[in-house]
Amino acid sequence: MTPQEGFSPDIIGFLCNWCSYAGADLAGVSRFQYPPNVRIIRVMCSARVDPAIVLEAFVRGLDGIMVLGCHLGDCHYLTGNYYTEKRVKTVKSVLESVGLSPERLLIDWVSASEGERFAALVKEFTETIRELGALGKEANCDIQQLKTRLAAAKETLTRDRIRWLVGRERELTEDKNVFGERVTQEEFDQLMFQTIEKEFEKRKILISIGDDALSIKEIARKMEASPGKVLRNIVSLEHDGLVSVVGIEGNSPKYRRVRG
Amino acid sequence: MVSLQNPVSEVNKVGSVLVIGGGIGGIQSALDLAESGFKVYLVDKSSTIGGVMAQLDKTFPTNDCSMCILSPKLVECGRHLNVEVLTCSEVTGISGEVGNFSVSVRRRPRYVDIEKCTGCGLCAKFCPVEAIDTFNKGLCDRTAIHINYPQAVPLVYMIDKEKCIGCGLCRSVCLADAITYSDKEKVTTLNVGAVILAPGAEEFNAKLKSEYGYGRYPNVVTSIEFERILSASGPFSGRVQRPSDGDIPKKIAFLQCVGSRDVTCGNSYCSSVCCMYSTKEAVIAKEHMNQIEPTIFYIDMRSYGKDFDKYINRAKEEYGVRFVRCRISKVKEVPNTQNLRVKYETEDGRLSEEEFDLVVLSIGFTPSENIKQLAKNLGVELNEYGFSKIQPFYPLETSKPGIFVCGMFSSPKDIPETVTQASAAAAKAGELLSSVRGTLVKKKEYPDEMDVRGQPPRIGVFVCHCGINIGGVVGVPSVVDYARTLPNVIHACDNLYTCSSDTQEIIKNNIKEYGLNRVIVASCSPRTHEPLFQETIKEAGLNRYLFEMTNIRDQCSWVHLHDPEAATEKAKDLVRMAVAKARMIEPLERLSLGVTHRGLVIGGGLAGMTAALTLAKQGFEVDVVEKNQELGGFLRKIHHTLEHENTQENLRNLVENISANKLIQIFLNAKIEDVSGYVGNFKTTITQGSEKIERDHGIVIVATGGEEYSPNEYQYGEDPRIMTQLELENRIATPDLEKLGNVVMIQCVGSRNDEHPYCSRMCCGESVKNALKLKGKAPDTNVYILYRDIRTYGLIEEHYRKAREAGVIFIRYKEESKPTVTKALSEGKEVLHVSVFDPTIQEDILIDADLLVLSTAVVPPKENSILAKMLKVPINEDGFFLEAHAKLRPVDFATEGIFVCGMAHSPKSIDESIAQAKAAVSRACSLLTKDVIEAEGVIATVNPNRCTSCELCMQVCAYNAIEIEETKRGKTAKVNSALCKGCGACAATCRCSAIDIKGFTDMQLSSIITAMR
Amino acid sequence: MESAGEGWTPKILAFLCNWCSYAGADLAGISRMQYPPNIRVVRVPCSGRVNPYFVIKALQHGWDGVLVSGCHPGDCHYISGNLVARRRFAVLKDLLEYFGIEPGRLNFSWVSAAEGEKFAIVVKDVVEKVKSLGPAERLVKR
Repeated sequence: MTPQEGFSPDIIGFLCNWCSYAGADLAGVSRFQYPPNVRIIRVMCSARVDPAIVLEAFVRGLDGIMVLGCHLGDCHYLTGNYYTEKRVKTVKSVLESVGLSPERLLIDWVSASEGERFAALVKEFTETIRELGALGKEANCDIQQLKTRLAAAKETLTRDRIRWLVGRERELTEDKNVFGERVTQEEFDQLMFQTIEKEFEKRKILISIGDDALSIKEIARKMEASPGKVLRNIVSLEHDGLVSVVGIEGNSPKYRRVRG
Repeated sequence: MVSLQNPVSEVNKVGSVLVIGGGIGGIQSALDLAESGFKVYLVDKSSTIGGVMAQLDKTFPTNDCSMCILSPKLVECGRHLNVEVLTCSEVTGISGEVGNFSVSVRRRPRYVDIEKCTGCGLCAKFCPVEAIDTFNKGLCDRTAIHINYPQAVPLVYMIDKEKCIGCGLCRSVCLADAITYSDKEKVTTLNVGAVILAPGAEEFNAKLKSEYGYGRYPNVVTSIEFERILSASGPFSGRVQRPSDGDIPKKIAFLQCVGSRDVTCGNSYCSSVCCMYSTKEAVIAKEHMNQIEPTIFYIDMRSYGKDFDKYINRAKEEYGVRFVRCRISKVKEVPNTQNLRVKYETEDGRLSEEEFDLVVLSIGFTPSENIKQLAKNLGVELNEYGFSKIQPFYPLETSKPGIFVCGMFSSPKDIPETVTQASAAAAKAGELLSSVRGTLVKKKEYPDEMDVRGQPPRIGVFVCHCGINIGGVVGVPSVVDYARTLPNVIHACDNLYTCSSDTQEIIKNNIKEYGLNRVIVASCSPRTHEPLFQETIKEAGLNRYLFEMTNIRDQCSWVHLHDPEAATEKAKDLVRMAVAKARMIEPLERLSLGVTHRGLVIGGGLAGMTAALTLAKQGFEVDVVEKNQELGGFLRKIHHTLEHENTQENLRNLVENISANKLIQIFLNAKIEDVSGYVGNFKTTITQGSEKIERDHGIVIVATGGEEYSPNEYQYGEDPRIMTQLELENRIATPDLEKLGNVVMIQCVGSRNDEHPYCSRMCCGESVKNALKLKGKAPDTNVYILYRDIRTYGLIEEHYRKAREAGVIFIRYKEESKPTVTKALSEGKEVLHVSVFDPTIQEDILIDADLLVLSTAVVPPKENSILAKMLKVPINEDGFFLEAHAKLRPVDFATEGIFVCGMAHSPKSIDESIAQAKAAVSRACSLLTKDVIEAEGVIATVNPNRCTSCELCMQVCAYNAIEIEETKRGKTAKVNSALCKGCGACAATCRCSAIDIKGFTDMQLSSIITAMR
Repeated sequence: MESAGEGWTPKILAFLCNWCSYAGADLAGISRMQYPPNIRVVRVPCSGRVNPYFVIKALQHGWDGVLVSGCHPGDCHYISGNLVARRRFAVLKDLLEYFGIEPGRLNFSWVSAAEGEKFAIVVKDVVEKVKSLGPAERLVKR
């Protein structure tokens, strides 16, 4: 991929207060030069970075996001960054579902003494994003569709069941589950992927329907998905009371969103 | 009679029975046994009872909603003091002897505490793990923690351990503290006297018939999947939608005999139910969405049961269901539209192809591997197909004494036959264990009832949070505060779960503490919970009818989730309405009726004799009334069964046994003159010659049998070579059967016509049987069977196949072109010239018959209508007795204490008559084993001062519970409390408010109405 | 009685038979089908129990509409009570119309134990219908 002509990416960096933010300070004190594309947001711990916030940033049109925390084992809050690591992985898989490159989200560790490393990371990440181009360039779809998908992805990450899984991943895969068994990372990833996929599809359906009343086939066409799969998810949405059939046109039942 | 049971010392017998399988069969067996004095363990491997019936949308031929009729039985089973339901459990082994078995049962962990779970469903709302919903046949998804269906019993969730990742969310959200991850597999040993096997059968795996594309094409579904598609509580809420795109299919094809009558897949038998269920599915689909055009592709239409042919005709004429007789060769998907092209060969050999939007495969039933393993564990022998081996005269006995069988496990059958067999198997267990009846059952003791008459109402109101199910929407504390302001409310409080066992204690204590004499619970549905609370107040010394319940969950918080304010207002209104009624309620008595422990059996044929003998074996006196001078009825004309059993020998044994039994009194040449009275207390007048005999009976079993139709078709009676099938049978039984050249049998003589629109059911098997006998005696005899549909249902199909192999020629004739018979001269001798149009070659076939055999109809005895009037029970249009409910009460009448069995009900085979007779006894025993029976408390009462004896109430009463009585002050209506069911149709009809319904009085209902403001 | 001014919503009294329609209403709840909160349910053994007088009484006491719902024909727990009810309400409806009561105030339906969604739809329809008719004042005793 060739870099876009004159493209200067907008990047946000979430930096933890105790290591990475200090590292960035040190880069400044040491006058290490790096590209001006990054806007830094200080958080107390990298674990504060809610997956939904990351998606919100992309919804707002940011091209890349860095999440930087203390090195594993050094977390000021003992284990926060372990959670961050697991969580970012989940967000990356959501980005893939949206059709975005997972490289648009970076997780890395910068200690308070690694000013130079901080500058290098920013430089490298900015370059990566510059090469990827503006948000959605790789997604093969128009901006409206991308926005729809991103909104769906954000809603997906706010769902209770996803958040619970995200929150429990470390304990389940590294310690024991409620039955006293260890869940392998592979099993967990598979479940997580399925759950996200399903939720994502459902959110996409809701957003696709919008304020219209649409048939399964119309929804499928809008989403570029198979009607059979849409039907299955619609059944689940209907069960949850989020859509209902408002009428039948020809041979096609029309679904409308139920607004609380 | 060969007894299959070893003599067992009576002292060692145990008064409990294990029922394996919690489908409708197992449920019926369990309820019958528990009601007649036995402790029952009901084991099911699933997390809930209900079986296949719970998955069905409607049932044929009445189009009853399956869940509506099943769910009261589920609830009854779940609540019965003497039925212990063991779910998630399997039987692994058996030891001991008849009358005293030790059975080991393995229970899989459920991970949810049955005692604590309230079924509120919060856990499933949050569970992050999705799995395929197997109850809905994979058409949608469910969560790892789940219940199979909303009406499940027990209404307890279960964790699917295979899918669960163990995240712990369910425990975090469960307010009832019901999640137990530490649950472990448990093995327990049950001590029982007998075992009833009701494990059902499994659906045929449609993928094995790959030519139909099931599993590859989304729009090819099985009939059970289609049931879920039709179901209002199924994935599509009852809209008929096809899986590929959710569109409503216009053209639907039903392909019959998928996995049935098919030697290539090993299932050469007929699955018996598919012709009817697919017709039903076609009709219901059409009812749901009128644009649907269903077509049924079939080989033979096997609508052999009671009122089945009428149903098929209605499907054709009223609903426009199209029936095509053919053989299907292949189903192919049309790319893009995902429609399906069905290729088939019509009867006349033409190849055709037609496009459909949806294809439904009418799959058959087969014993599952699981069931075969169970049989092995129990030491029960199986037949070549894997069904339990049975003998025609012992249709309920497995090869192992003390283990009985019912339902699909002995051969494929429909719901009423399963229910019949289930009751019959219960009777078998009852016969075996009658000496230990009542030894293991529990009876609850209650304190004496407080007399609250004359006291002002002191009402206690208990408002339930139901976790957050109610409290999350309705402002429960404000409802409680409001309740306190209402008149006569002495006490009001809220509970996290009003149904939990600790709250029951609170209610009891509050009744004492505050001197409450009326109790109101505002929570969920009285349909599931009223008996629990009534029990509680009874334990506190209050009459159970001093209770009122209002539903602020199912009909308030859950349906107004987004409007808490309106929901709270509504809850207050509902509580105010309940208080208004509670102020008016009075204690009600349940009338106790004594029971005469003697049965009356009308009819001394196979069914009547079987019923009498079974009753006697259960320890009851029986009177048998037979109109002829000999016992035996229809069976006297049958010499052997399809399975080569000697019927006459069995009949002789039966007559000997019944004559020798001291408890049985036989009245020959006798008839019923009059029957009066009601359940437990019938008074019967029997006339025998000129003598009139008065007898008391507790129950009546109608077994008047059927008769052979005497044809006026085909010159019957004019030529000795023209005879009926039974006459042929008699002739075959004579040792010197002369050589016969061409034998032609004509089916449906007198059946399925305008005069007798029903199928006589047994004639197809009967002619196949006789044809095989003829071929067996003289293989060069040519046997032609001219038929309309060959209805060799179930395992009889095997004999049809054998007959074809033996060279019997089957030629179909159409209803509109019946065979003709003329006498003609051929080669110097007079022959019977039979001509029939063969639709396969589209030509007339001429056969010179040496013998013409007419398969004649079974017709009801003429006396049925007189008897029906006497007993006040109905008969159907065909003249057979009409049971209370075609599906679930196949041997009961709506009038309590009167039962029907055998051909009095409809034409049927030997094993079916025996099963039905035993079923009638089983149902009767639930009354006869009691010394007193309690009548309903909610019943009608008459105010004679207002009654004008206009008889309007009599006309609307479906139970004949109202009579006009002559009193000193003139005529007045009188309610028979033993017969009244309390529906209230009379009260609402009465022109002068003379009739009222206790518990739902005009005053009470009016007070609710006026509590509006 | 409130006038049909702003914010007026009808109050509807529903007589549901214990065996089918009440169970159908329960299923609507279990399935969380949402419907308007204007309905108050009275459980009766059978739709056949509902005396026409109750309907008139309800209209006299400020209810704006009445719904009577029973088992489908043929499904009645009491064999034929629902058919008795149907005949009765057909007559009553005519009579009420003669009095000048809009026929839409009295509604009759069949809802089975499996028809939760149908129950919700019936309630919605009835509420809509009665809402458009406004408050029932004709028979109200003052």
